[in-house]
This record gives sequence, structure tokens and C-alpha cells, in this order.
Amino acid sequence: MGFVKSSPASQCADLRTAYHDCFNRWFSERFSKGKCDKEECVAEWEKYRGCLAENLKEKHLRNILLEAEESYFPNKGHDGSRSCFNHQ
Amino acid sequence: MVRAYKHEHIYRHPWDRVTTASWRKFTDPDTPAVLSHVLDVHTLSRRLDAASGCLHTVRSITVRSPSLPFFLRRIIGGEAVVCHCIETSVVDPRARSMEIVAVNASLRGLIEVEERSSYQPHPENPEGWTLLRQDTSIRCKPFKALAAVAEKVEQRCVERFQQNSVKGREFVERICKYLEAESSAAAAGATAS
Repeated sequence: MGFVKSSPASQCADLRTAYHDCFNRWFSERFSKGKCDKEECVAEWEKYRGCLAENLKEKHLRNILLEAEESYFPNKGHDGSRSCFNHQ
Repeated sequence: MVRAYKHEHIYRHPWDRVTTASWRKFTDPDTPAVLSHVLDVHTLSRRLDAASGCLHTVRSITVRSPSLPFFLRRIIGGEAVVCHCIETSVVDPRARSMEIVAVNASLRGLIEVEERSSYQPHPENPEGWTLLRQDTSIRCKPFKALAAVAEKVEQRCVERFQQNSVKGREFVERICKYLEAESSAAAAGATAS
């Protein structure tokens, strides 16, 4: 069958780039240096993840994506006040 | 049969820089040129654990699969060209440790590859150097692979056999009609004589 012609990469490329740029900046400037005191990249992540949920076709990968989505909601028992991904 | 090998590498850079670089390995603009086997990378989940402060991430890394023998390629089909790997990582910025486990999700009937990587400050120079330890294990599954190959070959044989059976029956029909015609002609000749 050759290369994947219509991959999630093509539909979600821009959103992925936006998320990666934000993540790399956050990781390099804050997280890896031990500083983590506010939410970062949540909006970018959610847009990118939403696009993947619509476009990712490989079943095994979809399962990982959707299972993670179910367990991710921050109001489900997380200590939001100390989380870098606080949605409050 | 399992093959396992270890490798260590010293980056003469601090841990935060090396781990940052590690995240960018598959998503840098130059990645397609340098790592041409990598076709696609996606983040499937990420979670920051509030209690431990650890970042948990799962990514899919799609690579061009290694060349397979031609007969396996024909039997397995086009899916063999693309192989999905799942990379799970945990970063602990307080302990300065990054652990990554990557396994192949495709072609597992034939081969299981697991690569464990660990980035930590180098004990001889924790502020300036980073030690990467990698453990890789590759396990081929010859018996399962042969069974899969055998099943495919068997299926093809069955299809071919059935096609041949139909042709064989039709041919026998044709011969029967020929023999019938020949017999009628002979009988007509005998009657006439």
C-alpha cells in the first residue's frame, strides 16, 4: 500500500506544530528546570487532541488516545491547586 | 530467540538541555532529512501527576518498516511498509530523571522490539553532563511467523484448488458431451450399415 496518503499529520499538522512549540518552550524554560507553577499549553493540547480524535484512523492508536481522554479530566480527583494542568 | 544489547552515551550538556533535545528529536524541522525513517509522530496522551510532579506522556511514532524478504512482504501486504511504535515516558524534574520505553505496535506477530532509555545527570559531573543508558531487546517469533505464513499459503492453495476444481468439472462435462456425440454418431453409423 505504500505511504499513508491521508494521515492525521496532514489534517492536524498546524495544530500539532502549535502544541509542540508551546510544549518545547514550557519544557525547556520551566519544567526541566524544576519550575511548574501554572498551567501551560492546555488550549493548544486540546485543539490538537480534538483533531486527532477526528482524524486518527489506526485502531490501536485511537484506543490509547480515547482511553487517555477519559481519564484526563482534571476534576476527577486531581489535586488541581498543585497541578500544572489546572483548568480552574 | 531474544537479542539484547546495551549502550551508554555521555552528553556533555546539562540534563535539562538534553531532555529538551530528546523531545525535539522527532519533531524538529530537520527530522525528515536526518531521520528519514520516521514518517509521523503524534502525542496520544499527556498527564502531569500533581502529587509526584512527574510528566507522563504516550506518543506514537510511525516509521518506515525495515525491508522484509519479498515473500513475506507479498503475504503480509502493504501494511508492512509502515510500522507504528508506542513510546511511553516519565519525566521527574525533581529527581532529574527521564525514562522512556518504546515498543513496536505493528508487526508484533513477527517481531517484538523494546527499547528502554534513561537520561540522568552523569555521576561524575551532574551539573554539566548527562548519561543516556539504552537497553534494547529484539525478539523474533519464528514459529508464530511460520504459522502465519503457513496459514496464508494454505488459504491461497485452497482458493487455487477450488478454482481448479471448477475448471476440472467443466472439462469433464465437455468430454462427456463429446463422448456422447461420438457415441451417437457411431450408433447411427451402425444402424445405417
